[in-house]
Amino acid sequence: MLNKEITFNPMKILTSAYHFFRPRALGITVAFLFLAVLMVSVFFTSWPSVDQLPQNLEDPSNIEGIGVMIFTDFVVPFEILSIVLLSSMIGAIYMAKGDDAQ
Amino acid sequence: MAIGDLAFLIPLLPALAFVLTFFLGKKLPNGGAIIPIAAIATSFVISLLITLNLLQNPGEVITQSYSWFAMFNLGILVDPLAAVMLTMVTFVSLLIHIYSVGYMSHDRSQSRYFAETALFTASMLSLILSDNILQLFISWELVGVCSYLLIGFWYQKPAAATAAKKAFLTTRIGDVMFLAGIVILFSDLFKIFNGTIPDGVFIMRFDEIFAHIPELAAMNANILGMEVSHITIITLLFFGGAVGKSGQFPLHVWLPDAMEGPTTVSALIHAATMVTAGVYLVARTFPMFIAAPDTLLVVAYLGAFTAIFAATMGIVMNDLKRVLAYSTISQLGYMMLGLGIGAAIGAEAVGMSIFHLINHAFFKALLFLCAGSVIHAVGTHDMRQLGGVAKVMPITAATMIIAALSLAGFGIPGTIFGTSGFFSKDAIIEGAYLFGESSGMWIPYVLSIVAALLTSIYIFRLIFMTFFGKPRTDYGGHESHASMTIPLSILALLALFFGGLTSRRFNDFVSETFGNNFVNMNIPELAEMGGYHLAAHVGHEPVLILWMPLIVAVAGLLIAYLIYGLKVVNMDNLVSRNNPVYKLLYNRYYQNAIFTDFISVKIIYEGFAFAVRSIDRGFDWVVNWISDVTIETGDSLRQFQTGVIQTYATAVVAGVGLLIVLIKVIMEVI
Amino acid sequence: MIPIELYVGLAVIIFTIGLYGFMTQRSGIRMLMSVELMLNSANLNLVAFSSYNADLTGQVFALYSIALAACEAAIGFAILMTIFRMRDTINLDSFNILRW
Repeated sequence: MLNKEITFNPMKILTSAYHFFRPRALGITVAFLFLAVLMVSVFFTSWPSVDQLPQNLEDPSNIEGIGVMIFTDFVVPFEILSIVLLSSMIGAIYMAKGDDAQ
Repeated sequence: MAIGDLAFLIPLLPALAFVLTFFLGKKLPNGGAIIPIAAIATSFVISLLITLNLLQNPGEVITQSYSWFAMFNLGILVDPLAAVMLTMVTFVSLLIHIYSVGYMSHDRSQSRYFAETALFTASMLSLILSDNILQLFISWELVGVCSYLLIGFWYQKPAAATAAKKAFLTTRIGDVMFLAGIVILFSDLFKIFNGTIPDGVFIMRFDEIFAHIPELAAMNANILGMEVSHITIITLLFFGGAVGKSGQFPLHVWLPDAMEGPTTVSALIHAATMVTAGVYLVARTFPMFIAAPDTLLVVAYLGAFTAIFAATMGIVMNDLKRVLAYSTISQLGYMMLGLGIGAAIGAEAVGMSIFHLINHAFFKALLFLCAGSVIHAVGTHDMRQLGGVAKVMPITAATMIIAALSLAGFGIPGTIFGTSGFFSKDAIIEGAYLFGESSGMWIPYVLSIVAALLTSIYIFRLIFMTFFGKPRTDYGGHESHASMTIPLSILALLALFFGGLTSRRFNDFVSETFGNNFVNMNIPELAEMGGYHLAAHVGHEPVLILWMPLIVAVAGLLIAYLIYGLKVVNMDNLVSRNNPVYKLLYNRYYQNAIFTDFISVKIIYEGFAFAVRSIDRGFDWVVNWISDVTIETGDSLRQFQTGVIQTYATAVVAGVGLLIVLIKVIMEVI
Repeated sequence: MIPIELYVGLAVIIFTIGLYGFMTQRSGIRMLMSVELMLNSANLNLVAFSSYNADLTGQVFALYSIALAACEAAIGFAILMTIFRMRDTINLDSFNILRW
């Protein structure tokens, strides 16, 4: 199996390519259209950015900063998120248990 | 409060009774018959009081009118003509309703019956009360609808359904003519007013119409090279409506078929309501008729012809009710003749005609109710199977004989002894004589006197075949219940004595219709406009002419007695399919073949209807094409809704992509 | 310094791959995976812009969105399990009762 002879048969490749692309033609077309549009937008837009990335060689991590922000500025979304997580967990378990719940 | 203020209640109470009976009747005993009976009884009392009041104070004509819209109004007018009609209609209708309680007691749809008869009565009453021609037309149509409902009361029977349709469609021909007349009248009046109608003037009201008769007569139209006055056209069209409703010659075909309804309905239609509507219309618009050249002659000739035409058919019919139906047509012919001879005697003709109408209502209602009583008890209406009924049903037989005497017109001229029918019919025949004398046209008189002979023959043939002799088949008969015999007795008394007691007074009273504070017409002047020469009053005829109706009536009785009572003449040879005259009469002059099979089926149905159908198919095709295209488009478009979420996602993404490209391109171009 | 366009471009490519997967795959689990890809390309964007603008907010919200993705995945898989129990398949093509 491993030493299966690899032959180059352009006709066969084209045929298999055709059979691969034929049912996916619409999806591929749409995806490429979308990709092209986005790529054009991305590369022809001047994004705002700082000139120099902040560098802190002693502590390259920004975990501390993120933690502080979560518990100060964004504590309300954080709490809400915890409730969402809990309820989705309960819902998922309830649904996944199915009929033998009782 | 004057009794006249209650006049509006007369049609309103039966109409209310219709609503109540229709919705509550099923829950009440006897189909809620008590509601219409009470309502119509109240209406009768009001009408009677109004009539008595009018008799004492001839000037107190009741007029009320309210603006409806634009130049039209709703209103009531109770003058002598309307008052006597109201009293008669409510009275006969009341008796028929009481009688129906017994007659319809076995029918499951009693409440529907009583509701419909109440509506029928209400429509007729509102027709009589109308003070303008538009309201009259609306009620006229309502009467038509109710007659359709009632003739087809037993709609399970195909014959009844067909008869109802026939009645409705035949009278509709007349109705269309009537409507055309109204439209022409309206446009003419509009022209007379130059299109500006002052406030408070309702141009369709009778007084307004009559006031403009001279202008109408002055308008001429050119039809087929002949100069015809507008008033002639209008009156002829009105008369066309009356021909349809009152069963005159070409449009009488529905009337015999209308016997398919319950017998009480026949009594109601033939005596009190529907068929008298046409006569009433002509009487109501009589000033227009007398001002119109030649219209009254048409009325007279057609009336006389119908009288004899129907009488000949009445002689050969074997169905109890059909004989009476043809008798009704014949008597309606007399009424029309009575109006037509107004060409010779003026407004008195209206009195005579309405007098006959009232008397006819009494004895014809009586005849029908008696026939109903026989049919109810015996269960058949073929006279060949009856005979000797007088022994088991003495009251019915006695009352029916009274009615027959009244119909045939027995009485002694010059005295007050005589049946009701005698006074009125005699007056009309004598009027026809005067008409002949003054104009030289004797045909109506001859026709009417021959018709009187035939009337006597057919009605006594009916009496002898039904009530005397030996029973021809076994039937278990019994006298009807008191609720049926009491109305019969009351009607019999009226059929005997009403005419004698009121004869002279009545004519004068009704003739006052056109000379009071509402409508004040100078009839002789109008007659001059129409080119008629009014003769002197009735009562100056030779003695022979006075006695002639009685002579023919007795002759008819004797002929009928000889043939059907003593059987001195063997009728079997005469009554056979080989006798062409008998065949012609029995087949009713082949009207059915001509009207139904030829005109209706061949011309209307196969010819006209085919053309209309082709056009209709064309429209159908267009409409169907539009709908087909819509359906197919929708069918193919809905395939987009695959129900698979990826498809939608793909579409959204593709759409967004395309939109962005489009915006980009547009931005570049701009 | 790596230009930000490359990060965003990478995010776009990942997003398109997820999109393509979502559009073409029939299996419910593969579709959920594609959705994860799209979410993560968004996270990538968030982090990239956060870094390049010296603002930690974006990274905080990247964390939140990861948590939400966990919720979504948990519920999605639970639904798929229910569907599987009902029909013995998670091929979402056969769930087209909302069709015309």
